[in-house]
Amino acid sequence: MVGYTEKIKEIASRLLKECTVDMVIGFRKGTMPMMNEPCFATTPEAIDTLVWDSNCGINLANYLTNRKEKVAVIAKGCDSRNIVTHIIENKIKRDQVYIVGVPCTGMIDKRKITGMVAGEILGVSETENTIKVQTADAETLFDKAEVLQQNCALCIHRNPVIHDEMVADAVQEQTDVDRYADIRKIEEMDSEDKWRFFDDLLSPCIRCYACRNACPLCYCPTCFVDEAKPQWVGKGQDPVDVRTFHFLRAYHCAGRCTDCGACERACPVGINMRLLTRKLEKDCQEQFGWEAGLSLDQRPALDVYQANDPGAFIK
Amino acid sequence: MELMGIEPDRLHFSWISSAESTKFVKVVKEVTEKVKAIGPNNHFIKDTAKVA
Amino acid sequence: MTLVKIDKKNWAEGLKAAADAYRLYGPVKGKDYHQFKALEKGETPEFDMVNTRLSPKALLFPQSEEMLEYSLDESREDHHIMKAVARDNTPRAVIGIRPCDAKSTLLVKLNFDTPEVKDPYWLGAYQNTTFIGMACDAPLSTCFCTTAGCGPYHEEGLDMLVMDRGDAYLAKILTDKGKAFADAAGWKAAADDQAAFESGKAAAEARMVSSIKTDNLADTDLLELHGAPFWDDIAFACLNCGTCTFSCPTCWCFDIQDEVHGKAGVRMKNWDSCMFPIFTVHTTGHNPRDTKTQRVRQRFMHKLKYFVDKYEAGIMCVGCGRCVRQCPVNIDIRRVSELMNSFKPADACAVQG
Repeated sequence: MVGYTEKIKEIASRLLKECTVDMVIGFRKGTMPMMNEPCFATTPEAIDTLVWDSNCGINLANYLTNRKEKVAVIAKGCDSRNIVTHIIENKIKRDQVYIVGVPCTGMIDKRKITGMVAGEILGVSETENTIKVQTADAETLFDKAEVLQQNCALCIHRNPVIHDEMVADAVQEQTDVDRYADIRKIEEMDSEDKWRFFDDLLSPCIRCYACRNACPLCYCPTCFVDEAKPQWVGKGQDPVDVRTFHFLRAYHCAGRCTDCGACERACPVGINMRLLTRKLEKDCQEQFGWEAGLSLDQRPALDVYQANDPGAFIK
Repeated sequence: MELMGIEPDRLHFSWISSAESTKFVKVVKEVTEKVKAIGPNNHFIKDTAKVA
Repeated sequence: MTLVKIDKKNWAEGLKAAADAYRLYGPVKGKDYHQFKALEKGETPEFDMVNTRLSPKALLFPQSEEMLEYSLDESREDHHIMKAVARDNTPRAVIGIRPCDAKSTLLVKLNFDTPEVKDPYWLGAYQNTTFIGMACDAPLSTCFCTTAGCGPYHEEGLDMLVMDRGDAYLAKILTDKGKAFADAAGWKAAADDQAAFESGKAAAEARMVSSIKTDNLADTDLLELHGAPFWDDIAFACLNCGTCTFSCPTCWCFDIQDEVHGKAGVRMKNWDSCMFPIFTVHTTGHNPRDTKTQRVRQRFMHKLKYFVDKYEAGIMCVGCGRCVRQCPVNIDIRRVSELMNSFKPADACAVQG
């Protein structure tokens, strides 16, 4: 992905100059290592701040919801699948969004890297396949493959599925990926162990809702946890309430989640809530042969009835 | 629900027409037997809110 | 002010002795980061960390706290009476709080302890607590305490300040509370090494790489700043999650909820956040702070302008940098304060806002 930045600036500049769009949504360089900030550009100065590297893990489809302007958006594979979902769910019109596709080789996991080096990380630079991490005392070189976000390591749709223009030639898709090894491990536990596993997984949750708010699917005007009439969930830190939030949110994403990983990346306390969403993704895959956001012409699995829908669980 | 640790036999789905009274009886019997077999539910019960 | 030297061999022992008279709290490593929690018997606080992920504010202001309770069970003498929940008022001590976090308690106190209103929950906890600070010799690149009204050896809000001298700790006793704790811990070896504090402080301050400027905030017109043209740009990335406010040591907003369980119930307070849309929703359904930009502006205006004007006690920020590090989309208060502080109303478009 080295070299994408210049191409993105060039495209953004042309789109704005030719009035193809009113604004370009992308990333600008963050103030911390391994962080970039989503931003919009409408001026040449703002275009100049746009960047692309392995720290663009936030899903920009999230910034398209209910937009009125004509916008261009820089989209990785997962973002593009969420844009498809957005279009299907009428959150944005196809002709209103100009998709600048980014063939993606994965985003790096800032928490994993932080855990792999001693001391504060002061700088991170990258080449196509390596990540160089600098601390006050040392410089460490990693293979990019070993420090990818887990969702990126498991990704099988790195190239945008929908685009108006591409930043570069398509990258090779990963094959022979076992997407659900960790889910199967949980499935094999007995009920008590499963319960304890999720109690432990969710115990650090502070209910800041960063996971929900980073998720492009979570666009409800009022989330069920915020409803007051009736109030569905307690607002305190009771584990039952915390769990209710997490598993119901996962259900709401069933058949829609593209495993972009924005939820896990956003979480300030490092909860892997993707274990819930990916179970539902796995079920959709196994039972309906459905993967979210691949085509504008297909209705989502949970949106349609088909005679061969699995029904063995209904007695 | 099962993944989260709710026992599989605690949740049942059935499609019963209003005319299928015998099926209704059969299903209710089966469900109660299965739920009795796994005993009382210990999870997802909130007595007094735990605070932290 | 007295100085005492604590041999590291006597550190754990002293804490053990103090534990007879105090409930001890300190930073402990959880799954993959440090946080403040009650120390088990014999457990010592861990200082081998960059900082705690969340601030220790929850020690005085728990995320979720029961205030009142009642029961409708008529067999109880006190049925149908809403009364205060019993609280443990025995003394406690926080070991190893950073000077920035200690200073933050004084800013929060301005809200919970006023001449007119006193919050018994926060104040009760505050008064029972002795703050044993650990001087900060390794500030992070995101720390800007020295330009946010405190510093790595700042003493405000502390009862004792401890510095690490390699084989020993050197403790500066700042208050009677601090003296009482030192007595309980049996730390008595008088020392006369004020210079060590001075040089430690100078060295730590020299390691600070981040700073902010706040000198123009008080004099800038409030409405002009409110209508400044940069708010949409700052707010664009914001997800409106509560990470910044929940990790902030000075954010004090809460929401009150009643929870009913059969015939009994409690009234509790839970952390709330100005980032959440429902924070300001009226019962009519009207929301005066309906847009993301309005909410983000509120957070920064409160910290860097309204608070400054109202209390004349500096900014409502101690420069711990937690919001900078935790924000999922990298909204950086250092950048925002720079924009706010350098803002010249004349440059602004008159129709903004």
